[in-house]
Amino acid sequence: MTGAGGTSGATGMSRAGGTDGLALATRGLRKNYGDRRALDGLDLSVPTGVVYGFLGPNGAGKTTTMRLLTGLVHSDGGTVELLGKPFKRGDRRRLFEVGALVESPTFYPFLSGRANLRELAASGAPVPAKRIDELLDLMGLGDRANDKVQGYSMGMKQRLGIAGALLSDPKLLLLDEPANGLDPAGIVAMRDTLKTLASLGKTVFISSHLLAEVQVMADVVGIIAAGKLVREGPLKELLSLEGVVKVRVRPNLVDAAIKTLAPLAKAEPLAETDRDEGWLSVHVAADRAEDVNQTLAGAGIFASGLESGADLEMLFLDLTGGNGSPNGEGTFVGLAGPIDGQDGGARAGKGTAA
Amino acid sequence: MRLFFSGFRKLTRRPASWVTLGLLVGLLALIIVAVGATANGANTARDAAARNLVTFPGAYGRILEFITGLGGLFAVIYGAAIAGSEWGWGTLKSAVARGESRVRYMLLSFASVAVMIGVGIVITFVVGVVAAIVGAHLANVSTSGLGDSPTLTDLPERLARSWFAVVEEGALGFTIATLARSQLAGIGAGIAFYFGESFASIFLPDIVKYMPFSVANAALTTTSSGATTSGGFGGAVSALPADQALVLVGVWLVGALIVTALFSDRAEITG
Repeated sequence: MTGAGGTSGATGMSRAGGTDGLALATRGLRKNYGDRRALDGLDLSVPTGVVYGFLGPNGAGKTTTMRLLTGLVHSDGGTVELLGKPFKRGDRRRLFEVGALVESPTFYPFLSGRANLRELAASGAPVPAKRIDELLDLMGLGDRANDKVQGYSMGMKQRLGIAGALLSDPKLLLLDEPANGLDPAGIVAMRDTLKTLASLGKTVFISSHLLAEVQVMADVVGIIAAGKLVREGPLKELLSLEGVVKVRVRPNLVDAAIKTLAPLAKAEPLAETDRDEGWLSVHVAADRAEDVNQTLAGAGIFASGLESGADLEMLFLDLTGGNGSPNGEGTFVGLAGPIDGQDGGARAGKGTAA
Repeated sequence: MRLFFSGFRKLTRRPASWVTLGLLVGLLALIIVAVGATANGANTARDAAARNLVTFPGAYGRILEFITGLGGLFAVIYGAAIAGSEWGWGTLKSAVARGESRVRYMLLSFASVAVMIGVGIVITFVVGVVAAIVGAHLANVSTSGLGDSPTLTDLPERLARSWFAVVEEGALGFTIATLARSQLAGIGAGIAFYFGESFASIFLPDIVKYMPFSVANAALTTTSSGATTSGGFGGAVSALPADQALVLVGVWLVGALIVTALFSDRAEITG
């Protein structure tokens, strides 16, 4: 795992170091909008052939990063490498091997889906004519290809946008919220498509708010907050350090369970619990469920339910300041209500990924 | 070239192209036919002016003046609509993200607008001539001047001048919308500029005669047509000599495109 500094041995990624083997790398990338600093020395390392989940709260700098990577805005400092070569102002041909969907998909409303792709293909790298129909079929738009885009649903526009990003058969695909507007079947299809692309050696860079979707799809994630990278690395490694064990006890034993588990959690103060249901959520490594159960049993408290897992959402909230609880292993997290007096409502009633 | 042809294909499928042309053609035909129909042979100055509008070969020139005048305003709006939509709809963004040159994209988009304007001028002129023939019949005016040889010889040059002038006016709208990055703002500012120049001609005629819409009108004049005034409000400004005006049309056109190119190249595309 790579934090704000460090190296991932598993992926060969490094921070602010060499960029060999990376499909995309930024070093010290800075961007200001007037007085506001949108990016403050961003160091991204995206290995080749992976699905990379780029996460961050609103205003963290995700969209600015996407704009910089596609030459839509100009940086105030730092460097960008695309597919192993520097990408500077004027290096527009570097984007011939990159496909992008930045923010929302954009089309001429008076043209059909097919015509829109044809006119988009007239810009940038040349595209074989048959590629357009292949992509329309791939995106499930073959039947509506001749309909005007102004009659498309949001999901159809999104699929057409992804088709547009794939026009040049790119080696690097940059997608901003690709699941926007897609129905569940569409999300699954998109996920399969992107995974297939990665398996073919292409690199897929996804900026998204859908943490569960990223957790299912991404091989590597980078989390950005306030314009800086706060964590980056293979998802499995990150989640192995960010686990949770949920345990259910009789409601009248909740207080006793909290006292019993407090030493295990190694953190104070103890969080609130869902007393009605008797559920506690113990913020420890996911593989410590047995320890939790054993500790409770040793105190004469027997669990009626036990779940363990790791949650990208929890990691995300911890790293981006959305979680008021102390960072690191051993924090009790309430299933409902505020944590440490701060807003934990986002997690109310939400189970933990198993 | 594929970008240019793409731009032209888009324009031919764009409702705004045909709505703008339809409005111009419709207004021209309506005015000419209505004037012809109401010219009842009374021996008044008004009736004489009406009959003059549908009398060939002079009708050729008046149709072209109409095209350059009202057509110029429509060209400003049209140019603004095309450039503004590239920013507003985000289609420029998609092209730039594919590695397309911003400057090339915008200039070739305008080149397709210029060609479309040429098509529109030819169609409008043909419809105007047909309407003038109809109007002449309604007004019982002879159409024997239709085949006037000196006028017909002069016509291609005058059509070309008209096209060049209207293209320059379209370029102004295109540039204003590029600076505004918005269709509506571009159209609004373009219209304001058009009427503002005409209004200013009342107070500053010696300056306004060098301004884009005035030189566009003045450039239409050829030696044989002999017009001496220009200006959107019907000739408030003493016109520049046609050839001098033509040069200035070129200056305004190139200047507008340079501004478009520079702004497009440097702008941050954030929409």
